[in-house]
Amino acid sequence: MSMFAFMGTLEIGFVYGLVAIGVYLTFRVLDFPDLTVDGSFTLGAAVAAAMIVTGFNPYLSTFCAALAGASAGMVTAWLNLRFNILHLLASILTMTALYTINLRVMGKPNVALIMEPTVLSPFEALGLPSMYLKVIFVAVCALIIGGLVAFFLQTQYGLAMRATGANPRMAQANGIVTKEKIYAGLALSNGLVAIAGALFAQTNGFADSTMGIGTIVVGLAAVIVGETLFGSRNMWVIILSCLIGSILYRLAVSMALNADFLGFTASDLNFITAALVAVALILPQLRREWKARKAAKEAQL
Amino acid sequence: MIRCDDLRITFNPGLPTEKKALRGIDLEIPEGEFVTVIGSNGAGKSTLLNALAGDIASTGGKIWFGDKDVTRLPATGRTRDVARVFQDPLAGTCGNMTIEENMALAYGRTERGNLSFALNSKLREIFRTQLARLNLGLEDRLDSEMGLLSGGQRQSVSLLMSALQPSKILLLDEHTAALDPKTAALIMDISSQIIAEKQLTVLMVTHSMRQALDYGSRTLMLHEGKVVFDLQGEERAGYEVKDLLNLFAKARGDGEELDDDKLLLGS
Repeated sequence: MSMFAFMGTLEIGFVYGLVAIGVYLTFRVLDFPDLTVDGSFTLGAAVAAAMIVTGFNPYLSTFCAALAGASAGMVTAWLNLRFNILHLLASILTMTALYTINLRVMGKPNVALIMEPTVLSPFEALGLPSMYLKVIFVAVCALIIGGLVAFFLQTQYGLAMRATGANPRMAQANGIVTKEKIYAGLALSNGLVAIAGALFAQTNGFADSTMGIGTIVVGLAAVIVGETLFGSRNMWVIILSCLIGSILYRLAVSMALNADFLGFTASDLNFITAALVAVALILPQLRREWKARKAAKEAQL
Repeated sequence: MIRCDDLRITFNPGLPTEKKALRGIDLEIPEGEFVTVIGSNGAGKSTLLNALAGDIASTGGKIWFGDKDVTRLPATGRTRDVARVFQDPLAGTCGNMTIEENMALAYGRTERGNLSFALNSKLREIFRTQLARLNLGLEDRLDSEMGLLSGGQRQSVSLLMSALQPSKILLLDEHTAALDPKTAALIMDISSQIIAEKQLTVLMVTHSMRQALDYGSRTLMLHEGKVVFDLQGEERAGYEVKDLLNLFAKARGDGEELDDDKLLLGS
């Protein structure tokens, strides 16, 4: 793999690391499988791109993208909590609606940002080659945001959010307003995913109405790879493992695409994604079965 | 401390599955009284506790804590006054969080929501002293995952958690029913200690007639959503387990033999 390709992989790995953290918040912390992210990733990119093209400051645009993503998450939470629509279905509804909203926000299926100022522009004066600058920038963003989330999950509020997902009845018996925690969690999660979308659009120079397809699988893959490799209970390590899982997952994908003897082309990406996630899910299960068999054998001796 | 005026609870009102769980409970429990609640399955014991805790909204009547009308207050709004321990040892704690994190959650029961670290060395010291009372060696395992503890250990921690913050009312819903006899005795022991120490107003649902008479100063018998007997004072002091069983038979109104083995357990 060339240096250029490697840096590109790292860059996308860090961006999707933010998606992984968002997915971790919903799937693991709140036990709320949320597919809204497929829509909110694009929404983040669309809002940021549309605002930047109109002439707004890129940082303000990214901030607004985060707010837009957070509102999308709240809509899903509202459908689920207020009207008892199954969480999975509620999120699919929001995701579907977002597809149209994203087209409306951009006004067309694709917005180019090649010649526009981005969040990277203030740092271009440093004279670093753009491929390193991009990686360093997204890495710093991902680490700062990841650190904030890890801290948040250890505060009283974060603890209450974790209890909401783990044991809602116990949470309520201890005075935790569980609905509010679910609203907050989904807003935070989708806000992070939208930031990832906004960063992706600015580092890659475009926003596209179909760019969000499969985001949830990629995020989940990163979470599972991280969990399988680290399996820690420490919040700092867990959040870091989301980021590392995302990078490793990206590396695995690009290696699969680059290995000539496998004969994959870029259009095979979705199959590789699904296969890698399946392997990541199958391995821990096989390891458990193997351990159980070994223990049974030892017991016989 | 607790007053119920004609408290009624109906599940699925208007549907074919309609069930009148409480049919008008009038009850007054003064501060510091320890009441045991007995009754056959479906008598409404757990419903009464859930209604007091706010888990179930009442269909009619009123609930007062002191001079505060809490009828419309949801469960989360009552936690300043009410602490509870569930029958299922897994229900009172989060299995995938550590002992100290669980205790921190309970510690924040009366006020929470700020963005400072949930745990600090001062809190850990409090938790350690509390856990030491159990004599289970848990004080050295603050960062163990709750899910690794046995049912009895988890129930013991739940009990401690219910008493971490000053509250006035403690609701115990058959909290020893899922435990082995030895652990159950230990839990009852700690419960009585905590209750005496904090002078709590207690409602304890139990299936054991022995427990119902041995603990507390008053015994209520529920039947089909109504209080059928309210034993206290000298009358109660003279009661034996077999007298209670007779009352049960009488409550059914036909003097038939008990077919519920559970009622005889532990007697």
